[in-house]
Formats: sequence, structure tokens, C-alpha cells
Amino acid sequence: MGDPRVPIKSPLVPVIWALGSAALAYLLMGQTQKSLLEIGVWAILLAEASLVSLPASSGNRLSLAFAVSAALPFVLTSGGAVDLAAAGAASAMGLLGTWMFRTLRSDPAEEVMAAVLRHGFGVAAYLVVFAGVESIADSIPVPDGSTDWVHLVGFAVAASLWFLIETSLWAFMVFGRNRLSRRYLWLLAVKDWTVVLSLLTTGALFGFAWAELGFWAIVIAGIPYGFAHLAFYRYQESRRTYGQTIRALSRIPEVAGLSPKGHSDRTSGMAIEVGQDLGMTPDEVTDLQYSALMHDIGRITLNEPSILKMGFTDEDIARWGAEIVAEAPYLSHVATLVSQQHQPYRRPGEERDLELPMASKIIKATSAYDHATMELGFSPLEALEVLHRGAAYDFDPDVVQAVRRALERRGVVPA
Amino acid sequence: MHGAKRRKIQIAALYSLLGGTVLAVLMWRQTFPPLALWLAFATAFAFFDWRSVEVNDRMLMSPTVMVALTAAVAFGPGTAALGVAAMAALGAFSADDFRQRRWFQPIANFGQLVVAAGVSVFILEWFLERALSSTGDTFWLWIAGGSAVAATVYGLINYTFVTVAVRAVFEKRDLRPWSNLGQLLPSYLLMGFVGGLLGATYTVLPVVLPLVFVMFIVGYLSFASYGQLREAHEATLRGFIKALEAKDLYTRGHTERVAYFSQLVGEEMGFTGTRLERLRWAALIHDVGKLAVPRDLIRKKGRLTEDEYEELQVHAHVVEEILAEVEFLRPMVEIASSHHSHFDGGGYGGVGHTHGAKPSPEACILAVADAFDAMTSTRSYRMALSQDYAFSELRRNAGSQFDPEVIEALYRALERTTERYGSPHLASEDEARRLAEGRPVTSHG
Repeated sequence: MGDPRVPIKSPLVPVIWALGSAALAYLLMGQTQKSLLEIGVWAILLAEASLVSLPASSGNRLSLAFAVSAALPFVLTSGGAVDLAAAGAASAMGLLGTWMFRTLRSDPAEEVMAAVLRHGFGVAAYLVVFAGVESIADSIPVPDGSTDWVHLVGFAVAASLWFLIETSLWAFMVFGRNRLSRRYLWLLAVKDWTVVLSLLTTGALFGFAWAELGFWAIVIAGIPYGFAHLAFYRYQESRRTYGQTIRALSRIPEVAGLSPKGHSDRTSGMAIEVGQDLGMTPDEVTDLQYSALMHDIGRITLNEPSILKMGFTDEDIARWGAEIVAEAPYLSHVATLVSQQHQPYRRPGEERDLELPMASKIIKATSAYDHATMELGFSPLEALEVLHRGAAYDFDPDVVQAVRRALERRGVVPA
Repeated sequence: MHGAKRRKIQIAALYSLLGGTVLAVLMWRQTFPPLALWLAFATAFAFFDWRSVEVNDRMLMSPTVMVALTAAVAFGPGTAALGVAAMAALGAFSADDFRQRRWFQPIANFGQLVVAAGVSVFILEWFLERALSSTGDTFWLWIAGGSAVAATVYGLINYTFVTVAVRAVFEKRDLRPWSNLGQLLPSYLLMGFVGGLLGATYTVLPVVLPLVFVMFIVGYLSFASYGQLREAHEATLRGFIKALEAKDLYTRGHTERVAYFSQLVGEEMGFTGTRLERLRWAALIHDVGKLAVPRDLIRKKGRLTEDEYEELQVHAHVVEEILAEVEFLRPMVEIASSHHSHFDGGGYGGVGHTHGAKPSPEACILAVADAFDAMTSTRSYRMALSQDYAFSELRRNAGSQFDPEVIEALYRALERTTERYGSPHLASEDEARRLAEGRPVTSHG
């Protein structure tokens, strides 16, 4: 159920839900042999399940509604075949219920609408393809007793299509972040395939077992799901911890007073936005995030008074930093990115350096931007001007453009 | 060394003979299950057997027993024991063993797995026959209950074989890491129950099998990445501390050694799992605060002034606060920051210390490990002292500054490993200081 602390904002929401469901029920009459009660129970289950979610690799949360929807064509059958009308009605009512519950829970309206629409299209395709495979199998001679296997094939095809539709809609039908790279968003959504796969498979498992074994289905689908759930949960938790530790370590030079407070954090925040804008893959963005956090770790070396006295260059900072990061065996490519952060993208009289990693160029520009705004007291527009002026050699013009777009999205410079 | 090799051969011969006998008897009494079905299960069994994953705090788990029992129920009485024993025989030989030319492990495993699988499934068959003559929920309960019993037997046989082999081959080795039978049995019981249930489902609804496989493989892969990430996390922290510490000649390797001593004492005092891990992590971060302190302050030979001491404390505390923002590290930071507080409640303590209260056992261990390493390694102001001197000094302060139990645990652990730390003879603080001042200190870390 929704969070009990949130008061119901508008009595209109349940009224709309009731009217919508009544309209569906009216349309349904005569189309199906299933009782309204049965369809209603599945619809309520679907709506309730949408409130329970688990974390996925992309940072999105995926709800159990995937599992319930996947089970619908298995549990709503008449005469051995999918009752498309009943399954469709249950999905529609369930999605309406999802919309109602989540609105009452004060989830952002845009997000709720987008989720309901995505799910609506996805489930519709799933149900139609599932029934389609079944009817094709009816028209060709298949051996007796293989209905289950036909359903398995139907499920596999339909579920793949559903996943494709969900991820594409998530990446392309977006509100508010329409200037981020589509490639990045789509790849991010696809990273969740393991979680989606396990949710859909749980639904199918439950559906098969429910028809044959009744309530034992809960145990048979529940235990494998519990195992997978624990695995996802643990993985996400340690991913978060890993990120937190890297962030904490990156602040040691700042605490020691050897680099400006908050610089690495702000640089990495801006770098992520620029990387996403430029169409990096999610894994590349993670490396970028870590290397931006770590780009000044080499400054801890300045703790040694004799070194401070001798003087140092940006190249020294980059090298020392890379040496420290390289001690962590799993961060070797982050070390490479850190070691190149000071390099200009082009030298006088030469072509641009194609070997230089994008991440290093992004760190150079975003770090300079933060330095200009926070240390030199420039306004965002003036700082951007600094980057533009340096675009001949120091800062890659593509990166500078992406920084400008990121600042526009943040609303600190006019579009 | 020669004796160990002979005992290895004896164990391998005995185990493979037992395994071979069980296999031969089963081949004579039973028929082989349908080959396609057997291959499907054998693949799954081998997959899980060759790579176990970390489920929680170094607890390794591999769902092989579940696969074995699902297969047993699916094969049915009259074929199950032979089918599963053959799977186990196959699972014992992994590509890694051949690549590394290990012969003892796979041969001993062969005997162990075949006997465990053959005997436990043979017991299960008795339950299966009962199940087949009943209907409804009784059918399910017979199968699932029987599988739970069989899994327990499987676990016990495995455990016995491992214990016997370890005791015979590595006579001196500590058996404690294998002695967590109490922790393992419930998971065997559960996996057996689930395995039986899935097998029973297969007999009425074969289509669920691929779906269940998909679920377990997806979960399994996630657990594998989780284990890798945990390893990366620790390696990252370790690497950073090592790199930052290496800047200073005198503290180089200090953290690594303190972590090692803490681990030794923790194991000696019977810590396991999460607790041991927390101790190791606390040791790893116990000196992180110093990294933010200017070197000349740390290296200063004379007494620190009030202001300098203040500065040192402030730096150290800020770093501790930053690390405490990482939820996972918070309990470790508390231990680490109270490692200067005394056993009797005195000392200056840290965030996790209230004056007059006894510090946690973990903090006591860390305090002893830290002091021991400080005395047995060379510092800017004095040479390393001998191990005997360090222990007599620790014992002199036992009960007031240090926990006597911890000191003795460290003593016993080092006796057992026969490792020696510190200089071989230096037994006086004054002499060590004089030596350090008399000539420039050379250290090779």
C-alpha cells in the first residue's frame, strides 16, 4: 500500500479510477467467460505489485507489476486458450489502479504517466504476441501434450518484444531530459535486462504452476525469485558502497587542505552530465565518474613539505594521482584516465590527438570550469568563455559545447 | 613433506576406491536415466560445482546439492542414485584442476561426491516410493521432506570426508575454517527442500525446469558480480592506503601488518564471518586519519606542542567523519577511532569511545596489534625492538591499557606461525633511541 503518511490529495483520483474500471467492465460484458470478480482480483494484484519495486543496474527501480502482468495470459484462460479480453481488461484496470495508487502516494505525475504508458504499450504487445503464437501453433500440427511448450515459446518471443518496447520508450519517450543522448539512455535501460528477465520469468513460472498446482505455485515461483532478489539487492548495495568509498577517499586531499573543498565532487557531477550528453556508454560514464573524483588525489603528495618547496606541474599531479589509483587492482583504466587529464586535445601545428580518451578531455574541461567559478570567482558565463577561449588547444570544442548544454539544462546560463 | 605426500596418496586411493565401489554397485543395481535429461542436469551440476559464489560475508555457497536433488526426483526411483552419482563423478573433475596439474583435489573430490550423492539419493528413493503411492499434498510433503533429509545426509558425508582429508594431509593446519557445520546444515536443509520441490514439480509440469534454471543462473551471475565488487572494494581501499602510506619511510606497511596481526588474533579468539571481516576493515582504516596530517608533524622527533597535537587530532577526526559517511564503513570507523582508548576505560578514545567505558573487543585487539607493530618496527626516533621486549612491555600494561586475553591470543598465534618480528636482540627502549640518534637510519621498508 502507499505510504500512510501521505494524505489523499484529491477525491477525484479514486472517482476517475472507479469510472474507468466501470467503463472497462461494461465493454467487457459478453466478451469473456471469466467472472468480473476474478479479473478484478488480478487487476488489484497488478496495481498493488506496482508499488513494490527492486533496484536495477541503471539506478531505476523496476516494479513487481512486470511479474504479475507476465502471469496474466497463463492464469486467465478459457478452454485452454488465452482469454485475451479478460487479460487485457485486467491489465487495463490494473494500470488504472497503478496510476491511482501512485498518484495518491504523491509520486511525480509525469513519471507516473510515463510509467503507465510504457507499461500499457508493453503489456498490450506481450498479450497480443502471446496469443498470436498460440493461434499459429493451433493451425499447424503439433504433437499432443506440448501446449505448455508452445506457451513457453510464446512467452519467450512476447517477453523479448515487451522488453524492447519498454526500453525504447524509456529512452525515446522522455519528459524533461530530452536533450540527453538517446544512445546513453537506451543502453542504460538495456543494462536492466537481468532484473526484467527474472521478473518476467517469475510471472511465467507462477502462471504455469498456478494452473496445475494451485497455491503451491507461490512457493515454486517464490523461492527462485527470492534467490534472485537477494542477489540483485546485495549487488546494488555493494555498488553503492563502492561508489561511496571512492568518493570518501577522493576527499582526503581536500581535508588535508591540499586541494579546494568539494572540487572533486563538483567536477565529477558536471563530468557525468557531459559524458551522458556526449553519448558515452553507462560503463564509460561510471569510469568517468570515478576518474573525475580521483583526478586530484595526487595532491596528497604535497603533504611532503620538501615537494611543496620544489614546486610541481599539472603533469606531476596527474602522474602521482595515477600512481596511487593504479595500486587499486580493479581501477587500472581509471588510472589511465587520471594520468592523461592534463593533456591538451591538440598541440600547435598538429592534428588533434585521437588517442586521448574522451573522459580525460571531459575532466580537463570540467575541472577548469569549477576552478574558474569557485576559485577565481567567475560567473558561469565568464567561466564558459574561458573554456571557449581555450578551445584552440586545451579544451576539445565538442566537450565545451556539451558543458554549455549541461549548464543550460541546469539553468545557470541562458539557452 | 614426504609424509604429507604419502598421506595424500593414501587418502586419494581410499576415497576413489569408496567412490568406485558405490558407482559399481549402483551400475549393477540400477538403470541409467534418459540421456538427454541426464545431460541437462549434469551440465547444471558441473556449472555450479566448478564455481561457487559468495553469498554473504565470505560464506561460499554453491547450489549443487539442490541441482542433485531436483535431478534425483526427476529421474525417479530405480535410476536416481546412479544418475546423480554419475553427475557427481563428472563434476569432480574441473578444467582448472587439469590446467594447474592438481591431481589430489579432483581424485579425492570424486570419491567424496560420488559417495555423498549415491548414499543420500539412495535414502531419498525410499521417500520417493512412499510419495508415488500417495496423492495431493502428502505427495509433495513426502518428496520435499525426503529431499531435506537426503540433503542433510549429503552435507554430513561431504563434511566428514573433508575433515578426515584435511586432518590427515595437513596435520598442523587449523581446522576452524571448516568447522562451521552449524552454519551450513540449515542451508543444506533448505536447498534440499527446494530441490525436491522443484523435482516434484518437474514430474507433473516439465516446462518449469528451463524457467527455474534461468532464474537461478541470473541470480547466480548477480551473486558472482557482487562477490567481485566486494573484492574490488577491499582491494581499492587497501591499494589506496598502501600507496598513500608508501610516501613515508617509517609507516610503510604498517597498516598491512596491523591488519594481519588483528586477523590472527581475531581467528585465535574464535571470530568468524562478519565479525572477523569488520575487524580486518577496522585495522585497514585505523590510521587513515594520519594521511591528511602534514608529514613534518608526524615525523617530528621531540614532543608535540599543544597546538600541533590539536592539529593532528582535528585532521584525523575529519577523515574519520568522511569515512563514517560510507554506511558500510561506519561500524569499522567506530572501532578504529576508539583503538587508542584503554582497556580499563581510560585513554583519549575517539568518536566510538565514552570515557570510563570498556572499549569493544575489536578495539582492544586493534590496540594491541597497533602497539605491537609500533614496537617491532623502526620509527624515526628509535630502532625496532625485539619481539620478546614488545611482549613483556604489553604484558606490563595488561589490564590497564591492554586486554590481557588479546595479548595472550597474539602470543599463541605468533608461536604457531613461528614468525618473528622486530630486531633479534634489542631489548631496551633507551638503547634503541640512542642507536637511532647515533647514526642515520636506513630502512628498506
